[in-house]
Amino acid sequence: MSGARDITLVGRDAPLWLAAAALRRALAPAGVTVRAVELPAEAGTADLYATLPAIEALHAQIGIDEAALLRGARGAFTLGQNFVDASGAGRPSFLHSYGAYGTGINGGDFFPHWVKARHYGLGVGLDDFSLTASAALGGRLFFPDTDSEVYGRSDYGYHLPAAAYAKSLKAIARHLGVELFEAASVAVERGGEGVAALRLDDGRRVESALFADLTCERLLSSGPFEAWDTPGDRVLSAVAPRPAALPAYAEIRASAGGWTGLFPSLTHIHIEHVFSHASTTDEAALRAAQSIAGLSLDAVTIRPFAAGVAAEPWTDNVIALGDAACVFDPAHGFALHALQLCIVHLLAAYPADGAGYAARRAEYNRVLRSHFARVAEFQAAHHALQRYSGAFWDSARALPMPDELAHRIDLFTARGELPPLEDESLPPDSWRALLVGHGILPQSWRPAADRLPPDEVKAHFRKMLGFVREAVLRQPTHDACLARILQPAHG
Amino acid sequence: MAEPYRIVILGGGTAGWMCASGLAGLLAAADYDITLIESDEIGTVGVGEATLPHIKSFNDMLGIDEAEFMRATRGTIKLGIEFADWLRPGARYIHPFGTFGDRWASADFQHHWARARLAGTDNRSLQDYSFAVAAARANGFEHPNTDPKSIRSTYSYAYHFDAGLYAAYLRAWATARGIRRLEGKVVDVRRDAQSGDVERLTLASGAEVAGDLFIDCSGFRSLLLGQTMGVPWLDWSAWLPCDRALAVPCASVEPLTPYTRATAQRGGWTWRIPLQHRIGNGYVFSSTFCGEEEARRTLLGALDGEALDEPRLLRFQAGRRAAGWAGNVVAVGLASGFLEPLESTSIFLIQAATTDLAALMPRCGERADPRMVREFNRLFEIHHDRIRDFLVFHYTANERIGEPLWDHVRTMPLPDSLAHKLALFRESAVAPDYKLGLFSRDSWLSVLEGQGVLPSAASPLTHRLPAADLQARLDDLAERIAVNAADMTPHADFIAGYCAAGTAIRPAASVA
Repeated sequence: MSGARDITLVGRDAPLWLAAAALRRALAPAGVTVRAVELPAEAGTADLYATLPAIEALHAQIGIDEAALLRGARGAFTLGQNFVDASGAGRPSFLHSYGAYGTGINGGDFFPHWVKARHYGLGVGLDDFSLTASAALGGRLFFPDTDSEVYGRSDYGYHLPAAAYAKSLKAIARHLGVELFEAASVAVERGGEGVAALRLDDGRRVESALFADLTCERLLSSGPFEAWDTPGDRVLSAVAPRPAALPAYAEIRASAGGWTGLFPSLTHIHIEHVFSHASTTDEAALRAAQSIAGLSLDAVTIRPFAAGVAAEPWTDNVIALGDAACVFDPAHGFALHALQLCIVHLLAAYPADGAGYAARRAEYNRVLRSHFARVAEFQAAHHALQRYSGAFWDSARALPMPDELAHRIDLFTARGELPPLEDESLPPDSWRALLVGHGILPQSWRPAADRLPPDEVKAHFRKMLGFVREAVLRQPTHDACLARILQPAHG
Repeated sequence: MAEPYRIVILGGGTAGWMCASGLAGLLAAADYDITLIESDEIGTVGVGEATLPHIKSFNDMLGIDEAEFMRATRGTIKLGIEFADWLRPGARYIHPFGTFGDRWASADFQHHWARARLAGTDNRSLQDYSFAVAAARANGFEHPNTDPKSIRSTYSYAYHFDAGLYAAYLRAWATARGIRRLEGKVVDVRRDAQSGDVERLTLASGAEVAGDLFIDCSGFRSLLLGQTMGVPWLDWSAWLPCDRALAVPCASVEPLTPYTRATAQRGGWTWRIPLQHRIGNGYVFSSTFCGEEEARRTLLGALDGEALDEPRLLRFQAGRRAAGWAGNVVAVGLASGFLEPLESTSIFLIQAATTDLAALMPRCGERADPRMVREFNRLFEIHHDRIRDFLVFHYTANERIGEPLWDHVRTMPLPDSLAHKLALFRESAVAPDYKLGLFSRDSWLSVLEGQGVLPSAASPLTHRLPAADLQARLDDLAERIAVNAADMTPHADFIAGYCAAGTAIRPAASVA
């Protein structure tokens, strides 16, 4: 057997085209044919992808221009997610922003010094030390420059309306040479080593060395799917009118029966409301979403979801990508992150040459399962540590906790340290935002921090806070920035 | 102000004094009271004269002047390890402290190398794409260039030194910074009846030393962690059968090589470590496959210069304790585990345990916190287990057919994690690349190729470089390496000008 010189993707909407474009762009020079079998679109007016900053690298690899993307998709920037208690438990809100907290002091990390200072009465929270968080809360965007890069990371993600994003990506995939097959449905012909061919509803038959399954119904996949317990199992999507000044972040409001996400795009606020069918009817969920958002909702759809992971995302000659490999709880906008992890690791293991690919398949499965577990732990931590009121959140707190996560929370609680782990795709400051945001002030700090006199640390802190305040004031508002991008480009 | 937290280190030697110095460098002096107990009657093992580049960051953290330290320890430079006769007699390669080539078109260098090799357009070894290898072969050394665009920035370095002198150097450093040194042998260990924690040590003089945390640097005896706390030993001799070492110094010869040499022998392997004033030599062998007399003859027959002493025998077993920290006892160095010095990992493991411990150290008034003990032990396991796989791999991929030791290690079942790494590289040129623990992708690559494990395919991403472009880039890289290595300062001249023992102390030359 020689290498796999063709791969056929089956899916729909943005994930199909993102994967097809990325594979084609990377593998065309090696002579790999990429086919996309497109099932009827499901993304509606209300659907939107919230992305992590990492997506920018994938877009760049495909050759996507950021301004053109935002123009075409009518998207917006996001600096993070603000978690707000609307359940009546009185928990303070916190921002999970995409930037770093503070800057190093004499070659040592910032965080232990902050923990120590809090114990000695410092009144300033982490956000004031973050360019990104300060900008978001101050109604501005933050674009990194040389000075800010020296201070610390300041990233952003996007809010991309799903249907328009898919349309842009499809045009790019076609332009790159992806072969398109539209189909109302497909039947799968299995052979000795996985899938032999696809039979499209119009009678066409598509053979391929490899197949990629991007369908949420896992049309091509044969192995078991391990379910993850989540407090919610239904998601309502809707749109609402946008406010005059567009926030530069998403807001996630916890209420007694679930949570409501507000995601600004250029033209709307997109609403997501997650609840459990066991305790809430669809009608009650709609009323709750409307009331929590405080907006009148339009284009409402309600769908079930089931979080979990494929036991072996690559089985025989079928590679699961995105939803077919792993479905996260919608709470943190990790859907495209899961897809990106799949694409990156498939490219690293793609068997265009060689006599077989058993080891590469095993590696893909090993690495992805490990990556997915780390991301799922982030969500499990959110569920375990929140103190919101209501049955939905009580059931979230009762979910089982993986040992690795219990250790991570223990160590952070005891010493403010995050255990270094392989295959961790979220930066340490995301974890700090989450754990501190849910009320953990570490009980102690790395003793090395005690070597520095407190007055010296105070002086460093004052300098940081001043730098952040001034840097943020120089930044544009979200609306000003989008207006600039919407102007067609000149020479 | 609260009483300081009392740390008692049992044992001098490299582990004890590195640990004492590292803690003094990382903890606030006012909060910790550190005592080290050593006995002149108990010799130190003192092997591990070769180090890894990490030691430079340890010395830098302590603020140690490099030239002064090298002068005091009769130190020389180490750019890597040459493995001779490991694949088969006559075969040799260097595991360098440096990179192989660059990442091009989003694919790691070895994929481009594999592509050109499989296409038949390039027949160079990976070794030809390492500046550190070329410099080592040319017996040259200069400090690395700090401009990342320069080919002369693509390596780091470690040292060969006299470990006894290093321990003495650190002893002076540490005692000058308030570490208390007690002379004496421990004759009794008293534990708290309820918690099982160690409370105090009694010395032969009758003196008692109480502490909050005890660090066991007692060497193979593992007096506190093994004997007192009863933490079991995990035996790895099924994978690493060598259990003896004979060590002997010999007179120096020219040229002064800037690398360690490890030569495979019938019953194990011999080391050669050039210092300023002598060459350290030894034979690590398996008593199952080689007698002591044969080992002695082999070792003495392999010396480059006149033997300066009688060969000294050490007995050991490969393995580690099930945990490095139990109750209020932490073991550092040989008291926590032993891996043969094939990749000079002993001193690194002392450094890692010390820095991990410093970050997780209890404070005054606290007992050892099980949450931090768990993290220390998690890291302890990762460090040891990853080194084990890397060492086992040197043995298993060999073509020394007909030699009983080598037949045994070639055919023994491998740890699953290692078997997968080898299969993956053979199939696709994807090399092990992990974040935690020792040995980078480049380290694995050097040994994979050197032990004859070759890829049968490369990443398709390599095709984003046109084939002609690729060959031009490869040729350019090999030439830049060869030309630059040829005009390196000879290692012997570097040592003479920078840090020769017996010369006056003067400021270190600035690094360009």
